[in-house]
Amino acid sequence: MGQPVIFSTRFRLIISFLAMAALVGGFSLVIGVRLLTRSVFNEATNRIRLDLSAAREIYRNVEDRLNLGLSIPTLEAGFIAALQAGDIPFLRGCLQSVASRLDLDFAGLVDPDRRVLLRLSAPLGSLPDSGPVNPVAELALRRRAAVGGTAVLDRANLLAENPELAERARIALVPTPKAAPRPETEETEGMCLACAHPVYAGNTLIGVLYGGVLLNRSEQIVDRVRETVFQQEIYHGQHIGTATIFFKDLRIATNVLAPQGGRAIGTRVSQQVKEKVLDKGERWVDRAFVVRDWYISAYEPIVDVLGEKVGMLYVGVLESKYVDMRRGAVLVFVLITAAGMALAVLLGFLLSQRILNPVQRLIAVSRRVSQGDLSPEVGPLSRSEIGVLQRTFQEMLGSLRERYRHQKAESELKLLQSEKQASVGRLAAGVAHEINNPLTGVLTFTHLLLKRKDLEPEVREDLKTIADSTERVRRIVKGLLDFARQSKLEPRPSDVNELIESTIPLVANQALVKGVVFCFDAGQGIPKRTLDRNQFQSVLLNIILNAIDATERGGHINISSRLALNVSGSGTEPRKGIEISIADTGCGIPPENLDKLFDPFFTTKEVGRGTGLGLSVSQGIVERHGGIIRVQSKVGEGSTFTIWLPLEGEAGAP
Amino acid sequence: MNILVVDDDPVVQASCRRILEAEGHAVAVSSGALEALAALDRGPCQLMLVDVIMPEYDGLYLIGSVRARQPELPILVMSGYPTPETIASGRRMGATHFIAKPFTPEELVAAVNRALAGKGTG
Repeated sequence: MGQPVIFSTRFRLIISFLAMAALVGGFSLVIGVRLLTRSVFNEATNRIRLDLSAAREIYRNVEDRLNLGLSIPTLEAGFIAALQAGDIPFLRGCLQSVASRLDLDFAGLVDPDRRVLLRLSAPLGSLPDSGPVNPVAELALRRRAAVGGTAVLDRANLLAENPELAERARIALVPTPKAAPRPETEETEGMCLACAHPVYAGNTLIGVLYGGVLLNRSEQIVDRVRETVFQQEIYHGQHIGTATIFFKDLRIATNVLAPQGGRAIGTRVSQQVKEKVLDKGERWVDRAFVVRDWYISAYEPIVDVLGEKVGMLYVGVLESKYVDMRRGAVLVFVLITAAGMALAVLLGFLLSQRILNPVQRLIAVSRRVSQGDLSPEVGPLSRSEIGVLQRTFQEMLGSLRERYRHQKAESELKLLQSEKQASVGRLAAGVAHEINNPLTGVLTFTHLLLKRKDLEPEVREDLKTIADSTERVRRIVKGLLDFARQSKLEPRPSDVNELIESTIPLVANQALVKGVVFCFDAGQGIPKRTLDRNQFQSVLLNIILNAIDATERGGHINISSRLALNVSGSGTEPRKGIEISIADTGCGIPPENLDKLFDPFFTTKEVGRGTGLGLSVSQGIVERHGGIIRVQSKVGEGSTFTIWLPLEGEAGAP
Repeated sequence: MNILVVDDDPVVQASCRRILEAEGHAVAVSSGALEALAALDRGPCQLMLVDVIMPEYDGLYLIGSVRARQPELPILVMSGYPTPETIASGRRMGATHFIAKPFTPEELVAAVNRALAGKGTG
């Protein structure tokens, strides 16, 4: 088809389907992804909340274990007696066995006067100890009760306990983006889990046994959290779960990895988290950027034995797992939408194919019809409305063919008739021309002879017979000429009734002589019509004179006019026109003569009365006006000639 | 000569001569267009009767030629084939009157008289 693709029904149908699929798919994509993201995130934060509780339990577990392990010697009678007796070697043995059992980093004994009796790390015989008293032991002395939990040891304390410990606790601050600014470049204090138990002899406080582990650079707790809570799950080569112990905002024990590898000890938490957790003491459960990745993370403060918020416990899972999950879901949604759209295109194409194929066929068929092929194949009938169209089209083709056939037959007949008429006409013209010259001689000399006064009466009679016969010849030749003269019409608008009325007086005389009565019934509302008045009048005259000839004295000739439809000819619309009928009560025409009535030279009149050309010429004139002349007759009852002329504007009018 | 009759048919020539001489006209006869033009060269006439269909040069040619020389000369066309087309083409060439063949002596005399009087069309 010549039309642009965007206007084609197929394109529009496919686009509509596509738009629908895209709309539905896109909508469900947006909603689905949003819902999914929210539920995944909720799920993740709920899980991390639980994970944080589990981590806290592990932290407490370590603390409880210390607590329990250190409480046992203080209740043993031997230990109490040794302390009372000042049996330092025994006590050292006890301390060492406890420390090795509990894997303590530091331990010691302090007497009620705040003198350090024993330190785990101090070599034998290095007394007296001048270092500061461990703050946990100090607190237990002051409270006269067992103390356990998180505690901060400053550098002096650490040095006193064990110089190596102080060294382990020292952590250089790594510049971290988003962290709160801190002036110092390294952390020298250490955060520990420590316990101190007073030792009583009876009701008398005789000392305090203390011990603890340094959390700085300790891997024990954080790795256990990772093992038990996250079960060593690996995602893209990375542990999915991480745990960290913060001292203030500083990572002192962690399995979060630094960008360059290794544990990210020395990096700090973001200012935002620090303010919320460390300063306000609240929990943080949200996504957070940790060192180098986004994590779904949970933080809670760690409170030391003095009730101070000294650090934070953190667990986090890699967000990328959830992001990837979401990405996967989005991908699935996108794929489904794309598949839907592809399906829509396919469906639109197939549907349009199904709908449009018969239409295309119809277009092709109508093109062939317009090129003159009236019997193309419409193809299989569709069951839809298109089928109705196809059937209607077939019917239309059928009636077109019928009409064409009819018209062809009619025009062939007309051609034959006009050829017949033309050849007769040529013959008539030739004959007329050749006859007229000798006829002139005959007429002239007969009349000249008749003028002579000396003629015998019988000679004069004979001459008169010659003159009359010649007149007859002259009339025949004139009739022939009229028939041959297929001259062009000179039409002008005329009132048919007025034309009939002006024709009747011309034949009134003959009617009077014959004793026949005229009756004219003029129809109303007949519009003017262009016609050749002279020729048309000669038609009327011809028919009326025939009627007078056929009618006996006392008969009637009824002339009437009216508007009438012509329904002759199958396959044609009825046409509006003027009908003039001339009915006589004469002798009628035998059926065998009806067919020949309009043939040239056919006459029933006695020799010399008619040329046989009148009706033939009349028919020619009526037909050249686009009309029809018909005759109905019954022998003995009369004949009715009917002239029908189409109104102008109707098909067939000249 | 006051009337020139031009017709290739001797019967018509004779008919015209007899009728018109009986009426007292001086009649000359030519049987073709060239002959008629030669006759006109020898001396003028008051009326010319012309047949339309003649061998060689036809009546219409003759009428045209004569009309160029003598614009005032009445010309009566005689035709055995009096169709409206024939009459109209005769008029276009310059014929003034018309009569259909065959004619009776009375009809010819009437037409000639009308033509000579320069009245109406015949």
